[in-house]
Amino acid sequence: MIQFIQASKTYAGGTTALRNVNLTIKQGEFVAVIGLSGAGKSTLIRCINRMHELTEGKLLVDNIDIAKLKGKQIRQFRRRIGMIFQSFNLVTRTTVINNVLVSFVPELPMWRKLTGMFTREQKIKALEALDKVGILDKAYTRVDQLSGGQQQRVALARTLAQQPDIILADEPIASLDPVTARAVMDDFRNINKQMNISVIMNIHHVDIALEYADRILGVRKGEIVFDGPSSQVTAEMLRHIYGGEWEAESSWEASAAYA
Amino acid sequence: MLDRLFPPKRIALPNGKAVMEKRSRIPLIGAGLALCTSASVYFTDFRLQTLIGRIDQFWVIVSDMLPPDWSSLGQLWPPLLDTVKMSLLGSIAGALLALPAAVMAASNIVRSKPVAAAGKAALSLLRTLPTLVTALIATFVFGLGPLAGTAAIMLFTLSYVGKLLCEQIENADMGPFEAMESLGMTRMQAFRFAVLPQVLPGYISTSLFCFEGNVRYAAILGYVGAGGIGLLINENLAWRDYPRVGMIIVALIVTVYLIETVSEHFRKKLI
Amino acid sequence: MTPLEKQLLAAPRRHRYILTVAAIVLLLAIWSFTAFDLKDIDPSGLTIAWTIFQGIIRPDTGLLLGFSEQNVGYLLLETLAIAFLGTLVGAVLAVPLAFLAASNIVPKPVAWLTRLALIVIRTVPALVYGLMLIRVTGPGPFAGVLTIGLTSIGMLAKLYVDAIEELDTRVLESMTSIGCSTLENIRYGIVPQLSAVFLSIIIYRFDMNMREASILGLVAAGGIGAPLIFAMRSYKWEQVGAILIGMVILILLIEIVSSKLRMKLIRG
Repeated sequence: MIQFIQASKTYAGGTTALRNVNLTIKQGEFVAVIGLSGAGKSTLIRCINRMHELTEGKLLVDNIDIAKLKGKQIRQFRRRIGMIFQSFNLVTRTTVINNVLVSFVPELPMWRKLTGMFTREQKIKALEALDKVGILDKAYTRVDQLSGGQQQRVALARTLAQQPDIILADEPIASLDPVTARAVMDDFRNINKQMNISVIMNIHHVDIALEYADRILGVRKGEIVFDGPSSQVTAEMLRHIYGGEWEAESSWEASAAYA
Repeated sequence: MLDRLFPPKRIALPNGKAVMEKRSRIPLIGAGLALCTSASVYFTDFRLQTLIGRIDQFWVIVSDMLPPDWSSLGQLWPPLLDTVKMSLLGSIAGALLALPAAVMAASNIVRSKPVAAAGKAALSLLRTLPTLVTALIATFVFGLGPLAGTAAIMLFTLSYVGKLLCEQIENADMGPFEAMESLGMTRMQAFRFAVLPQVLPGYISTSLFCFEGNVRYAAILGYVGAGGIGLLINENLAWRDYPRVGMIIVALIVTVYLIETVSEHFRKKLI
Repeated sequence: MTPLEKQLLAAPRRHRYILTVAAIVLLLAIWSFTAFDLKDIDPSGLTIAWTIFQGIIRPDTGLLLGFSEQNVGYLLLETLAIAFLGTLVGAVLAVPLAFLAASNIVPKPVAWLTRLALIVIRTVPALVYGLMLIRVTGPGPFAGVLTIGLTSIGMLAKLYVDAIEELDTRVLESMTSIGCSTLENIRYGIVPQLSAVFLSIIIYRFDMNMREASILGLVAAGGIGAPLIFAMRSYKWEQVGAILIGMVILILLIEIVSSKLRMKLIRG
C-alpha cells in the first residue's frame, strides 16, 4: 500500500513539481496518471521508488517511511518495485536473456557479480519470465535486433524476474505503434490481475488509460485534480486536467480508430 | 567575433531579397600561417640551401646501413624481446588501471563534481608528459633497465586509454543505468552491467592501438637507459657501425609489422 | 522437453573464446615479467622520487621566467617552432605519398609498395633520424625540424590514406556527368571532402609533435630536451621542475587549442 501524506517536491531551481499530494493506493490497483508534460507525473512516480526525494510531507510504502531509509535499505526497498521506461532502457549490445538476468544481480556474491556468471536456477527463472510475456524464442537474440514492442516486453520480463509488489511505468507505450501498444497494455493488465501486482502508469493516451485502468489520477501543475474510477471521467474533467487544450471530440474519434 | 571586424557582405538578388555572406576566413588564416612559418624559420635556423647541399649525406648513411649485418641477429634477440615485453606489460598494466581511473573521472558515474574534475585534470596532466621524460625520471627512481621503461609505458597508456575511455563513458547511454539503479543496484554495479558493455569494444580497441604505438616508443626508451633495444642502437650509432644499425631497424620493422597486423585484425573484429 | 528446457540448452558458448583469449593475455603478461628482476629494485628509489617531487614544486623561478637564450621561455618557443615547421614539412610531403598508397586511386602493386615504404619510414625511431640528420645539418634546431618532418610523414600518410579510402566517389560521378575535367574533379570534388579531415589530422599531429620535439634535445637537435637532460644528470631538481612546468603548460595550452579547432572543423 502506498500513501502520500501532504507530499510536496520543489526542485533546487525553484520549480514546484508536486504540491500537497494526498493519496492512498492499495495493493493490486491499476492506476493511470494523466496530465500535461511537466505537470508532475514523472516526479510523482519516481518518488515512489525514491529516485526523487520529497521536500515536504511523507511517503509510506507498506507503512515504512521511505525517507528514513539509508544506503542498503533503499536498494533492498527498490528490489520490490519494478520500473518500465518509455525508451525501454535495455542494454542493446547484449542478448535478451542477459538483460533479464540483470535483475538478479543484487542477490549475487561478489565474484559472480564481477564475472557476470549467473546460476542455473536464475537462468530458468529468467526464461520463465520471458515465457510469460511471450518472447521465449528470442532469448538469445541481441536486443538491438528486436522491434520496439518486443523490446518493451523484454523490459517487462526483466521487471517480472524481480517478482515485485509494485510496477511503475513511465509512458511505457509512447514509442510504440497502436497495435503493439495494445498488446503491451494487455500484458500489463494480465500481470496486474493474475499476480496482484499494483501498476501505476504515466500515460498520454487518455482513451487507453480509460480502457485499461481501474482508477485515474489527473495531475495538473503538481496537484491531484481528479482521483476516481475511470468510469467517472468526463470530458469536462479532462479539459480541466489538460488546461483547456483538450479536445474531447477528437479523443473519442481517435479511440474509435484504435478499436 | 571576426564578423565584427570584417562585416558580412550583402548580396542583393534581382527579385529584391538579400543574403548576407560571411567574409571568407581564408586570407586571415593564410596570413597567420605565413607569420608562424617565418617566425619558426627564424627560431630554428632553417636554411634551405644547407638542406639541398648536404642532403646527400643522409643517403650516404642509409647506403651504409644496407646491406644490414645479418650476423648480429643473434645478439639482437634478447634486447628486442625485452622491448616487446616492456611494451606488452606496460600496456596491459596501464590499460587495466585506466578503467578505474576513467570511472573516477567520469561525471556521470561519480556523483561529486570536484572528484570527477580532479580525475580529468590528473589524466590530462599525465598525458602531456612525453614518454621519454617519464622514462628518464623512472630510471632515477627504479634504476636503469627495463623496469623503468615499463613504468613509463604504463603511465602513458594509463593516461591515453584513460582519457579516451572517460570520454566514451560520458557519452554512453545512461538509460539502462537508470533502470538498474531503479531495481536496486549500487552505482558501481549499475556501471558494470549497463555502461561497461557499451564501452567495452572501444576500450579494448583503444588499448590495442596504444599497444601498437608503445612498441615503437619502447624501442627508443633504451636510449636513456630504460631497457630494450634503444641502448644497442645508441652504442652502434656511436661506433658508426651502420650495418648493425640497419639490422636492428630491419628486425624492428618486421616485429612492428607483425604486431600491427595482429592487433589490427582484432581491432576490426571488435567493431 | 519443454520449450523452456530447450532454450536453456540452446545457450551459445562464447565463454570458451573469451577464456582462451584471457588465458593467452595472462601468459603473455607473465612472460613479460621476466624482462626484469624485481629483486633489483632499490628502496632508495622512493627517496629519489620524493626529491624529484620536491624539486618540481619548488622550481627555479629564475630559469623559468627569464628571457635569455638559456631560459625556459625562449627554449619553449624554439621547441614550438620546431614542432610547427616540422609538422608543416611532414604534412606537405605526406600528401603525394598518401595518394600513392591509396588503393582506390593507384593500382594495387603501387599502393602496396608505397605502404611498405611508409611502414619503414614510420618504424625508424625518431632518435635515429635525429642522429642521421645531424650529419646533414649540424646539431641544432634545424635537425630537429627535419626529424619531426620525417617522423610525421609516416603517421600523417597513414591517416591520410584512411581518409582517402573513405572518399565518397559519387560526387565525382555527378561532376563528370556535367562535363568536368579531371583537374576540376579533384579541385571541387575531392579537395573539399578531404581538406577538413586532413586539417584535423594535421592539427592532431602537431599536438603530438610538440611532445616529440621536447625530447629531441637528447640528441642535441634543439629545443628544451638538452637542458632538461643536463639538469637531471646534475641532479638539479629545481631546474628540472622549472623546465617540466613550462613544458607541461605549453603542451596543455596547445592541446586545448588544438581540440577546440578540431571540434570546429568537424562540426563546421
